[in-house]
Amino acid sequence: MATNIAKIACAVAFAAGVAAPVAAYSKSATVTAIEERGTLLCSGHNGSYFGFVEVNDKNEWKGLDIDMCRALTTAILGDPEKAQIVPLSWAQRFPALQSGDVDVIIKATGWTMGRDTEVGLQFSLPYFFGGTQFMAHGDLGITEAKELDGGTICVEAGTTIERLAGNYLKTIGVEHTMVSYEKASELRAAYLANRCDAFAAWGPFLAVLRATELEKPDAHIILSDQLSNEPIAAAMRQGDEEFVDMVNWMIAALLIAEEEGVTSANVEEMTENPPNPKIARLLGVDPGMGERLGIRDTWAREMIAAVGNFGEIYNRNLGEGSPYKLERGLNNLWSHGGVLYAPILD
Amino acid sequence: MAIASDYSGAPDWFGQLANTFKRRAFRSPSDTLTSVFIFGLMLYMAWLLLDWAILSAVWRAEDVGQCAEAGGACWSVIAARHRLILFGLYPFDLHWRSTLACVAIIVTVVLSCLPHFWSTSKLVTLWIVGFGTYVLLMDGTLLGQPQVTTDQWGGLALTLFMFSSVVLLGMPMGLLLALARRSNLPVVRGAASLLIDFIRSLPLLTTLFAAAVVIPLLLPDWLNGDKIWRVIIGFALFFACYQAEVFRGGFQAIPKGQFEAGKALGLTAFQILSRIIMPQVFRHALPSTINMVVVTFKETAIVIIIGFFDVLASANAAFGTVEWAPYYIEVYAFVGAIYWIFIFSLSQYGEYLKRRMSVAKR
Repeated sequence: MATNIAKIACAVAFAAGVAAPVAAYSKSATVTAIEERGTLLCSGHNGSYFGFVEVNDKNEWKGLDIDMCRALTTAILGDPEKAQIVPLSWAQRFPALQSGDVDVIIKATGWTMGRDTEVGLQFSLPYFFGGTQFMAHGDLGITEAKELDGGTICVEAGTTIERLAGNYLKTIGVEHTMVSYEKASELRAAYLANRCDAFAAWGPFLAVLRATELEKPDAHIILSDQLSNEPIAAAMRQGDEEFVDMVNWMIAALLIAEEEGVTSANVEEMTENPPNPKIARLLGVDPGMGERLGIRDTWAREMIAAVGNFGEIYNRNLGEGSPYKLERGLNNLWSHGGVLYAPILD
Repeated sequence: MAIASDYSGAPDWFGQLANTFKRRAFRSPSDTLTSVFIFGLMLYMAWLLLDWAILSAVWRAEDVGQCAEAGGACWSVIAARHRLILFGLYPFDLHWRSTLACVAIIVTVVLSCLPHFWSTSKLVTLWIVGFGTYVLLMDGTLLGQPQVTTDQWGGLALTLFMFSSVVLLGMPMGLLLALARRSNLPVVRGAASLLIDFIRSLPLLTTLFAAAVVIPLLLPDWLNGDKIWRVIIGFALFFACYQAEVFRGGFQAIPKGQFEAGKALGLTAFQILSRIIMPQVFRHALPSTINMVVVTFKETAIVIIIGFFDVLASANAAFGTVEWAPYYIEVYAFVGAIYWIFIFSLSQYGEYLKRRMSVAKR
């Protein structure tokens, strides 16, 4: 019964939101289609992709990408439960987007020129950066690659990582011995047998390895250096700029909320008593946030209440609050030493 | 000498076995040595397996903490995640529906295997009722239950449904194609040959990918239907083209004289086909048909590529979180056991059919 009432309340709130004046700004065709359908079709995975797309014990999706999708769903439809996750393989994701099986791909997808041009996609602001990193034995007591001086570094043979790690260490003036292995399993075994002090691989992969495969996760530390980078962004069909705006401002609102200290816990309090005009605008106390995208002014408030700001999403799925304990590193706000930043909210 | 003493009593089963054993394995010292070594090794491996799978295993989901020390299998992962493996992303609270739907499919398939149901009217009724029940239960809308869309169907429930739909749709399609290929009308014959050879020249994956992804780009929206139906039809077409060739082999084994004899007796073409030819075709085609069916059951796992959460995909998801990632062997063993049970039952049923049909030969 309670859920029914909630549903009705939600529908009323939703109807009120739609009925609000949307006059001068053109509204995204995709958003209109999503509203008519009542669900947002998001990309899932045919299995699990650690930290980004997983399935919990209750057969429900979870992960960073799933939370981003729920955030977008809440922004457009006011209810994270209206996200419909369509399981897709890696190969299938772009055709599925083109054929309309999904509205948006949020699936650890790197922004490349080929995808942007030939495949005919539009990319949002990057919301994640994944690159090559080092993992070292914890008892060395180091946190940065600079301190690896005189150490032995293991890498997978013949990969770009081998060259990348060599170049990087040479650039920062660290004397080292490079040992390369043919297979990832040999590499791991060598590292565990203390044949090398550190090894280099894709950051999220290292984090997963540390959390799942090694016996004592805390005995290993992922160094803060980022050797390379791949911007991970949401991908959309070409030809609906307003939808790109929508997704961009969804990501921007999550970042601004973190910047301004708005969390899922204090969002109601902040709405009642906004500490500054930017927050008042963000939370829909002052108009403009929704009107210009053709949706409700309160969308960002509802979104933050439902999934939290970007920092909360990150910590829950990859960071301190998750078993992976992945450092924020580059994935922090620019003001905290990362590269994530939002466009200006005026 | 020892053998002679055995004849004193009644020849017992154990004695005979021991004798065979002695004769085959312990004839000479070198044989004995080899045998002792091999049997010792086998016993040791059996012991290792037993110890891993049962004696040192951890069984309850709450005990997962002990898994690292126990050294045996960590069946906790199955205890905690079996509902994911069996039903994929189907909503947790509605699992009673997917369980009943699975039962409906299994009962339908088992019943259609019984000779009592082998008449067109009975089979068609059975299939409509069986599959209707499955779809009603899984979807739920018409039962006044919350709707569960097909993208949330998954696990064993989806694998069984896809497999049985593909075989039940593909079998009559295959028969029709085989008949069309033998037709006297050049157009029908040519079209059937072209279709069969075209589909058989494509990998299954291409056919499924086209059904799932390419067709919606070409067809208007109202013709598209749900992805799952497109894939089942594509898969059934693939199955039918192979099965048509199996039936063709059966047709070719029948001497031409039987057709002529039928005509000479004044039987119609349909009577000749249904009373004389088809029963023999089925018998000739049976071993290859069983083979096709078994292969199809295993091939359903390929739908993982086009984003279906079949039993193997949900198994991957089952060990795809941090706490369960180390126990993938247990998950694969569990899924392997599921496949084994179904495929072993299928092949045993095939043996039964062969025995039954060989009555006609005696």
